[in-house]
Amino acid sequence: MENKILEIVNTVLENRGKKAIRKINPSMSLRNDLDMDSLDLAELTVRIEAEFDIDIFEDGIVNTVGEIYAKLNIK
Amino acid sequence: MSIFFKDISKHQEISWDRLLDDLNNTRTFNPYYKSDDYYEVFKNIIVSMLLNKEIVLLDSDFTGNELLTLTGQSSFDNYSLPVDTKLTGLGNKNLLIEKLINTKDGWQVTIFTSGTTGIPKKVTHSFNSLTRFVKRSESQQNCIWGFAFNPTHIAGLQVYLQALLNGNSIIRLFGLSKEEIHQEINARQITNISATPTFYKLLFPCKEKFLSVKRVTSGGEKFNTQLAAQLKELFPAAKITNVYASTEAGTLFASENDVFVVKNEFAGLIKEEDGELLIHSSLMGYSMDMDTEWYHTNDLIELIEKYPLKFRFLSRKSEMINVGGYKVNPSEVEEVIHSIPGVKEVKVYAKSNSVLGNIVCCDIVSTTTLEETAIRLYLQTKLQEYKIPRIIKFVNALETTRTGKLKRN
Repeated sequence: MENKILEIVNTVLENRGKKAIRKINPSMSLRNDLDMDSLDLAELTVRIEAEFDIDIFEDGIVNTVGEIYAKLNIK
Repeated sequence: MSIFFKDISKHQEISWDRLLDDLNNTRTFNPYYKSDDYYEVFKNIIVSMLLNKEIVLLDSDFTGNELLTLTGQSSFDNYSLPVDTKLTGLGNKNLLIEKLINTKDGWQVTIFTSGTTGIPKKVTHSFNSLTRFVKRSESQQNCIWGFAFNPTHIAGLQVYLQALLNGNSIIRLFGLSKEEIHQEINARQITNISATPTFYKLLFPCKEKFLSVKRVTSGGEKFNTQLAAQLKELFPAAKITNVYASTEAGTLFASENDVFVVKNEFAGLIKEEDGELLIHSSLMGYSMDMDTEWYHTNDLIELIEKYPLKFRFLSRKSEMINVGGYKVNPSEVEEVIHSIPGVKEVKVYAKSNSVLGNIVCCDIVSTTTLEETAIRLYLQTKLQEYKIPRIIKFVNALETTRTGKLKRN
């Protein structure tokens, strides 16, 4: 599942001409470490919802990769 | 030192004295203004007011192609006019504000909005139509504004004029990170914020409470009671107002929740017809091309009471896609994609999400193998970022309705 998240994150980054990342870890900040803006976050949430059927931003803003895992119940 | 404008993303802090100096040293004026520096935009609006000349505000991210479609020109670098010595002699802030308040009818500002028919619309406002809701009073003089709009759009202009004509400080919040916004509200003790629901949603979750904020205004998108409750939590000392405004008419209604009640002064000038909100032409922008008495807003409303008119905003009648307050016309994007060799058919549509309301997506039927990356690179030269489809799917065929029209939903 983590690999799927990494794949989705990289799709979003590459779509905006940003560099793909090799590894992902829970402490990474979506805005600061992955350099995502609101448009990127919107795309990320749509792609994750399409894959896992869970709207990760439903009740507020998710800031880190770890918070995405928590929403998707990835231990 | 009294601050006119502060922008931490550009490490800029402009005092009123610096603004006066800059105005006095202004030697040229470009009536077609395009800059991503908010201060430069703000300053040039003042210059245009002092010169009593029209200013056309162009979005800083308009591409050459878009400019060409909108104005017939792709660049305005050679349009600068010389400024004679008339601007000098503005001795202090109060004299400047006094002069700006007396801006004559000759001044007007033109901005662009995506039209529902596929052709972007040019809307021109006069000083009167823009400042209809500007309040000036003793109590307004100590306000500190959190600036949470794009300065080249109607809402940004209205907030700007409200702050400017009261001599308030303006602190940029738009486009900053959540942490930076929190920091600026605290550091500058911001008292007033006007923004879209999308902007406010970016501030949550937050453990802090911001007690300096006394007025919070929301507009441009659907407001709901959940957001009202969240805002009350974050800004416990603030009066929260939801406003209905459009580029064409400016601000028309205000409410404490999602229900709008039309004031007596607008009685007979606002009506509901087939579920749509209609506005009388007398309330519209200065030089709108109005060929009918009533302007169709394209906004679908739920009628709660007829006299006085009481309603709730439901959605846009048209197919415009609202990406965090920015309107995207799917037909415009489809046209651009269609111009790519190898694209046979294309459908642009919205996918909803809780971050920006919607993002733009598209399905493409192609006659040859097309690279997604190449399409994206091409679109970046033709369209503003928020209009470019975030998800591109290659499909075998597009669904159509029984009458042969493209099925949108």
